[in-house]
Amino acid sequence: MENQYKKPNQLRAFFTMMKYFFLAQTRNPATFAFGFLFPVVFISIFGLIGNSTPPINIGIPIESNRDNPITQAIKEQDFAKIQEAPKAELENKIKQGKLSGILEVETLESQPPQYTINVITSQANPQEAAGVTSFVRGIADQTNLRLSGVENPPVRVTQSEISGREIRYIDFALPGQIGFSLLSTALFGTVFGLIYLKKALILKRMFATPTKALTILLAQGGSRLIVALLQTLVILILGVVVFQFYLPHGWITFFELMLLSTIGLIAFLGFGYFMAGLANDENAAGPLVNLVSLPQFLLSGTFFPTDNLPNWLQPIANNLPLSYFNMAVRKVTTEGGDISQTIPYIIGLIAWGAIMYILAAKTFRWE
Amino acid sequence: MSNIISVTDLVKKYKDFTAVDGISFAVKEGEVFGILGPNGAGKTTTLEIMETLKELTSGEVLIDGINVKEHPWEVKRRIGVQLQSSAFYPELNLVELLDMFAAMYDVQIDPMKMLKEVALEDKAKSYVKQLSGGQQQRFSIASTLINTPKVIFLDEPTTGLDPQARMHLWEMVRKVKKSGVTIVLTTHYMDEAEQLCDRLAIMDHGKIMKIGTPATFIKDLLKKGFKKEMKPEPANLEDVFLNLTGRQLREA
Repeated sequence: MENQYKKPNQLRAFFTMMKYFFLAQTRNPATFAFGFLFPVVFISIFGLIGNSTPPINIGIPIESNRDNPITQAIKEQDFAKIQEAPKAELENKIKQGKLSGILEVETLESQPPQYTINVITSQANPQEAAGVTSFVRGIADQTNLRLSGVENPPVRVTQSEISGREIRYIDFALPGQIGFSLLSTALFGTVFGLIYLKKALILKRMFATPTKALTILLAQGGSRLIVALLQTLVILILGVVVFQFYLPHGWITFFELMLLSTIGLIAFLGFGYFMAGLANDENAAGPLVNLVSLPQFLLSGTFFPTDNLPNWLQPIANNLPLSYFNMAVRKVTTEGGDISQTIPYIIGLIAWGAIMYILAAKTFRWE
Repeated sequence: MSNIISVTDLVKKYKDFTAVDGISFAVKEGEVFGILGPNGAGKTTTLEIMETLKELTSGEVLIDGINVKEHPWEVKRRIGVQLQSSAFYPELNLVELLDMFAAMYDVQIDPMKMLKEVALEDKAKSYVKQLSGGQQQRFSIASTLINTPKVIFLDEPTTGLDPQARMHLWEMVRKVKKSGVTIVLTTHYMDEAEQLCDRLAIMDHGKIMKIGTPATFIKDLLKKGFKKEMKPEPANLEDVFLNLTGRQLREA
């Protein structure tokens, strides 16, 4: 009898369950949509946004005199995009913010001819108005000098560039997408998954076996971790191969990202288990999960930098778990730092995770 | 025959509701024991306490001589459990499910052989939701036998099945019984209890009203002078139905 009272082998159960939980996830369309399809679509769009600052859009009314040296000089600039159309149409576009300015050149038939350039800009868009005005001034100055026959002006501006890696939007967006997909997997997958397992009595049936509840939960988490690392991998491959996303230290950066993803997912899973404990059914879970995920997607620098947020919001935005994750990932990618510089963020993630696991332990019910 | 299950003064209380109110009964090794009763009588709660899925408030439950409260892990190894709904992962096929449960019980099995025993070998790669109600219940029973248990618990195994599927499931239960496994089941159907169970407990309001064999139940009632207000008929509607539609099992 003594011999039969041995503890069941939890390790075999753990690995077999992890394998099948993973298999089950790969067959679930929600995993595919949230974890892989959304991030891939987002990254493809962000990758196409590119880096070039939008050109100055200038409208030239077809009614105006376009046969003059000023208009010719403007047309020769390659960073100004010229639209020639009836004036009324251009005015509409400027009101809609689709044009930076309209240029009308009046020619006085004197000898030599004199030109007046009338720049029409939108009151609603002072930045673009200033851009157009200074652009036109520059052209006018050059033309003045040329027409006055000044070959050697006393003041000259030269420009030299310091070579630097250009930061494109994809460099900002891709780390955010890793965070987005991990949080989605940890929250949506875990919360709705566990609620379903509870309601369909699947968990209960498992509890009737000698496998411990903790083993089942760990196997669940383990299978989500495999999915999460695959998500990071897919996003990185797409980024590096298609959009030339830059890994500053090559493979080292790659493994740093995998390590950060593991830590991030474990912390985010705490939120998942906590929410799954709070909500008894899918109807309650929906708003709850969105309450946790949406502010993080918006405030954690996932889609746009937190620098743009108002000052009073910054302390909150910079201390959310997803913010820590995003900042850590950007530290080792965009900023070219090493893993030791991410330790403050890792500590932040662990702190959030610990709080959530404690709350989850208090709220979680198996039925 | 010795008792494989003995329940003594079992009580289960929720806040201010007593679901099981001091019941005692014993199940003999190798028999089919039925628990009958209307909804809310406490059948499922009693079953789940024996299955180690719910903690008892007071009393004692011994299964194969082991105290359920003190050694739940030992009890879990010796019992097979079928719940009311087919409680299986929707994204895993039958072979995968059996393989996973084998690991959870830490036993070695041949999934195909197990499926063959419940006539589901051609559904090996199917998901549970693709099975008919009867097939789901058969798979459910197969899953209770993975760890070669001494006792299996079936909670309303034939609810929602058509007459052919019910009769087929009864055959399966008899087969399992023949292999020496003790079976405890709950049911709403009196004919099922009469056909299948060696002994019955009738429960209501958390108490056991009566325990005995179906034959003694009827005999006792007749002794009290009970008369059914119906002319005895040589056949009933079920006989008509089965005569018209045959006893052949219907499955997609």
